[in-house]
Amino acid sequence: MDKNMKILVVDDFSTMRRIIKNLLRDLGFTNIQEADDGNTALPMLQNGDFDFVVTDWNMPGMQGIDLLREIRKDDNLAHLPVLMVTAEAKREQIIMAAQAGVNGYIVKPFTAVTLKEKLDKIFERIS
Amino acid sequence: MSDNAHDISLEQAKELVTLLEDGKQQQANQLLEDVYNRRNDKLFTSVGQLTRDLHEALQDFQVDPRIVQMTQDDLPDAQNRLLYVIEKTEDAANRTMDAVEACLPLADDMHHRVEKVMPAWNRLMSNDIQLNEFKSLCHEVDDVLKRCGENMPQVHGLMTEVLMAQDFQDITGQVIRRVIQLVEDVEKNLIELLKIFGKEEERRNAEKAGPAPKKDAAHAEGPIIDADQRDDVVGGQDEVDDLLSSLGF
Repeated sequence: MDKNMKILVVDDFSTMRRIIKNLLRDLGFTNIQEADDGNTALPMLQNGDFDFVVTDWNMPGMQGIDLLREIRKDDNLAHLPVLMVTAEAKREQIIMAAQAGVNGYIVKPFTAVTLKEKLDKIFERIS
Repeated sequence: MSDNAHDISLEQAKELVTLLEDGKQQQANQLLEDVYNRRNDKLFTSVGQLTRDLHEALQDFQVDPRIVQMTQDDLPDAQNRLLYVIEKTEDAANRTMDAVEACLPLADDMHHRVEKVMPAWNRLMSNDIQLNEFKSLCHEVDDVLKRCGENMPQVHGLMTEVLMAQDFQDITGQVIRRVIQLVEDVEKNLIELLKIFGKEEERRNAEKAGPAPKKDAAHAEGPIIDADQRDDVVGGQDEVDDLLSSLGF
């Protein structure tokens, strides 16, 4: 796993972005940027060479599930691995995210161990 | 059901025919008008009754003078209080993370320094060390001890800061409890309102009642606070993983 990969963390709460950033930094990732919803994230993704997206579901503006769908629709971004970290816990939603092409799904509250596990799994499958 | 007193009767109709046959046009017109007016009276009575009901209902409803105060003051106040809760919790989270982020490099620094002296230290412990190496080890250990002595009070201060940042719980708890009380009061008044105005509405809804509209699953619900009482949500990460692997993930 390339520790220099460029990661976008999308969450409307700055504290949650900060927690995820800290956990990622703990795992050795330092090239991290932030966005507070899908509408902010999408142009950043389209204009920047991001390698990985961590996104919340419930956000004002564009929700995480819609961001995921936009990413999969865009030829330049479709390959981008997306990890959802969200409090949304309905089975229907998890299935919906899976169908939309999510690479991993973590329900909040979560632990550092869970985040590491899912990251390892996602990049193990990709490589 | 027709109200016989207000409908035209067979007798009246026969009388009308007789009057017309006899050429008594004016009396026939009068009879028709009487019948018509009696029907109108019924309409006026009904409208009058409805107006009285509505008036009384409004009078009854104003019995709780708090309803005005609730909408004008209490609800905006509740909004401000909840915003305050967001502010306080965000502030606490940031204070905590500030302290933790300041602690982590100190812990890392100590860890690295200890790791650095460990090989020579292990040789010392197994009586396998040269004099010049022993001398430099002493300096390194001295350095570690001094740095430890400097860092630990700092860590202690930061930990105290983390502790103090938790004081939001008491304050936000009190604020939220007050908002819960207000929601209860508003609920009570809404129920009263429904009791007064809602019967007609209830009847109409019952008539057109179909299955409740299905909620869009993509619509975010936020944190589930009663997962153990619901069967449409997962109870934790393990269940998410099980569900995804059952989908071939």
